[in-house]
Amino acid sequence: MRWYVVRRVLWAVVATFLILSVTWGLLAITPNPAAEQMQFQAAASGGSAEAAEEAFEARRGLDRSPWVRYQEYMTNMVTLNWGWSQSRSQPVIDAIAAALPYTAIYSVPTTILSILIGLAIGLYSATNQYTKSDYAATFFAFFGYAIPNFWFGIILLLVFGVQLGWFPVVFDSDIPFFSLGMARQLVLPVVVLVTGTIAGVMRYSRAEALEYVEAEFVKTAKSKGADGYRILTRHILRPAAVPLVTILVGDILGIFLAASYLVEVVFGIPGLGQLSYNAILAQDTSLVLGTTLIFTFVSVVGNLVQDVAYTVLDPRIDYGDR
Amino acid sequence: MLKLLGATSVAGLAGCSGNGEGDGGDGSGESTASATRSVGGTYVSASSVDAQSLNWLTIADATSGSFVTATLDGIWAIKPNREIFPLWGDYATDDGRVYEIQLRDNLEWGAGYGQMTADDWVYMIQNIFQAQPNWSGYPNAADWFQTNPESGQREPIPVEQTGELTFEIRLFEVDPSFPFKPVLWRQQCIPRGILEQYVEDQDAEGLQQDEELNTLAYTGNLGPYTYDTWERSARYTVTRNEDYYLRDVEGVPDRFAEAPYFDQQTVRVISEESTRLGALESGEVDSAGIPPDKANRFENLPNVTVNVTPQPYLRMIVYNMRSNGWEPFRSKAVRRALGFAVNKESVVQNVLRGYADVAQTMQPEWSDWYDDSQVEEFGVGDRYGPEETRTRLESALSGTEYGYDGERLVDGSGEQVTLSIYYDSGQPTEGTIAEFVAQEFGENAGIDVQPEAVSAPTFQSNYVQTSAPDGTDPEWTAGTFNGGPRDVATSANSWDMSINLQFNTYPFTPASSKGFFERRGGINFYGYYPEEDISALYEEATATTDEERRRELFGEAFGLISEEQPFGFLAMPSSVTGYAETVRGYDEEFNTGWDSQAWYFA
Repeated sequence: MRWYVVRRVLWAVVATFLILSVTWGLLAITPNPAAEQMQFQAAASGGSAEAAEEAFEARRGLDRSPWVRYQEYMTNMVTLNWGWSQSRSQPVIDAIAAALPYTAIYSVPTTILSILIGLAIGLYSATNQYTKSDYAATFFAFFGYAIPNFWFGIILLLVFGVQLGWFPVVFDSDIPFFSLGMARQLVLPVVVLVTGTIAGVMRYSRAEALEYVEAEFVKTAKSKGADGYRILTRHILRPAAVPLVTILVGDILGIFLAASYLVEVVFGIPGLGQLSYNAILAQDTSLVLGTTLIFTFVSVVGNLVQDVAYTVLDPRIDYGDR
Repeated sequence: MLKLLGATSVAGLAGCSGNGEGDGGDGSGESTASATRSVGGTYVSASSVDAQSLNWLTIADATSGSFVTATLDGIWAIKPNREIFPLWGDYATDDGRVYEIQLRDNLEWGAGYGQMTADDWVYMIQNIFQAQPNWSGYPNAADWFQTNPESGQREPIPVEQTGELTFEIRLFEVDPSFPFKPVLWRQQCIPRGILEQYVEDQDAEGLQQDEELNTLAYTGNLGPYTYDTWERSARYTVTRNEDYYLRDVEGVPDRFAEAPYFDQQTVRVISEESTRLGALESGEVDSAGIPPDKANRFENLPNVTVNVTPQPYLRMIVYNMRSNGWEPFRSKAVRRALGFAVNKESVVQNVLRGYADVAQTMQPEWSDWYDDSQVEEFGVGDRYGPEETRTRLESALSGTEYGYDGERLVDGSGEQVTLSIYYDSGQPTEGTIAEFVAQEFGENAGIDVQPEAVSAPTFQSNYVQTSAPDGTDPEWTAGTFNGGPRDVATSANSWDMSINLQFNTYPFTPASSKGFFERRGGINFYGYYPEEDISALYEEATATTDEERRRELFGEAFGLISEEQPFGFLAMPSSVTGYAETVRGYDEEFNTGWDSQAWYFA
């Protein structure tokens, strides 16, 4: 097991190196719209487009050879000195450190609520299959899944923020993190993300649980007089949890990372989603590589935790000396 | 001897005399008595994008510039009526060529850098702006170079310190518009003590990352506010500067006596338009830009006042006259005929919801340089319609393969003429204009026009950049956007018309648009060859210090431009901003924010 984990970690380092190199290469060969716009503006006001281009390259350090730049960026990554963000005028580490808490403050409750609500509805639906409440739960889950987060967020803002005034329209980063004010302004973003996420958890847990609802050992437990709660948690959820881990750990991490940009834009939350997206738009190489490293790290660790979780949940699984 | 001065005399800068300017007439909300102004409150505005840096030596975007300007006034401002309003200093010139700049004597840097002197300016200009090579990457360095007629080379404009608070700028040629160019207009400065650390080693990285520059620690009493916090992608906050130099200056209008009038100013970065507008409606922000199609709703809200200000940006159809465009566009008569095809009033009223002005030439109608008697109008009144278009177009195309077959304009093989019109895929309003132009060309000129959406970066690289084919050596080239004669140099993709770009008409410095009307102009990506020598009129006007004569010459130039129709001029969209109804100080004029330090809450 230990050897397995070590190998996985080493492979993660190689994968990270490859991902960063490819990302750097793509950025290096992509024309920069900001540079082209500056050239155009210079020419339109009677100036020199070429001089504008040279100035831009000098500011961005692009007047050095690609190899020199690549070496510098990769060395920065290894030494954890991630360089200077050109689009924000601050060290990349500071930019990520400032953004990460804002992503965490809405994604942690989103993840917890998605798992709890999704699992609860899924298990309830499995044990009450084809009843009206099963259909209602399925409708609720799919409503959140089908409705676009971006649009849903705007509608909630207009109704509950602008018209009713129950929640602030714009996220206020000045409010202390652990306060009622922060909780209040997180209600709408969390609702949007949770409704978008629970459908997957709910349907998956329902499907997995259904495999065991009519299993012999469940029938045995019932015949021995076990109560419904015990049957659900001990005899259905436990075996169903192993495949569920795949979605609980992997997919949910992926979902909130992918969805965060849209929600952050709508609600004005200065988190990692906006940070990484804006860095790509601005072709801020240092910041793009820094945020890529974060997302890669989350994915790699998520997968590793998922694999290790299998062994905890199901003692029959053992990676042995693989 | 000609003597051009700004709004206050040089002596006035030392506090010895006033300019006698009263409160009124320059469009700054001055009808409100200063007694009603009081200091207080936090003014919150919404911005769709964040700044990139507070180190203004490294920035070229407007948002970053506005963040910095809240803490650093710059040397002078320009009022809407095109008068210079001295801030840190004023200028004097005898001949429109040599400009003496005089700084006020009460300007103090922060962070222990002492008084701002001419030495700071000259050091910065010579070692940063005019450094060769441009090691710091200063984006506006080209402004500080001019072609020396004696050598024929672009050389640094000579700048020399003439006193503790004075320095001279000696242009190579007379240019009475110089003070109005964004060379010294709102130009800011940095203490020599900061720059010296990086100049000798040409340490661009050090200069870029200098903490004092990035936290505006050196701004002292030089701006209405001092830097407080900048939380990226969220908010930027500045606090009232209790030592603001302008309060101690005699001769400035009364409204600056206690300026600024907000305890704090905050810019909140809200990239989503619906959220921004929702925040304005709910009162969470005091101002936000409003798109024309939403303005009507805000005009009906009791807590928001909609302010409409004219802008100098031109929305027009650019005709591709290069060899990968439609060749008849090269004919002035054809372009003039097509000028009758599009109803400009409809563009303004129906597409832009009335928040725009009709455009007829490369200057807005409200500009000093627009001469009604010279400008020829198209697309309005009886100079619009199918009959007017078709008869002129038929005549213009006589002798070519093109002609009318009933309602349709057909080519030599009897096929209807089909042209493309490109618009920015990220701009819904542009798409609507493109559809409208297509409809108008179809109905009034019998031309089938196909709107095509393209992203801004793609348009720039594949349609605007022009070059001669590999292996060809063009007779001349004028840079990235004009790679040579129109028969030789073309863009990568063919196109016929576009409305992707808006051009600035430069109402303060009209000569800046000269390059649009020169065969070898650096911006002439569309391959226009003027029939009249428009650039000669520009040059003569530029070198004329007699204001009346300049007006005549520019009036004539803009008249010729309207006559030649190098573009299908359509409209000049206005800027629409919503303010909380308690905000006072703004006006319905171009450049209304020039005195924003005197704005206040009622």
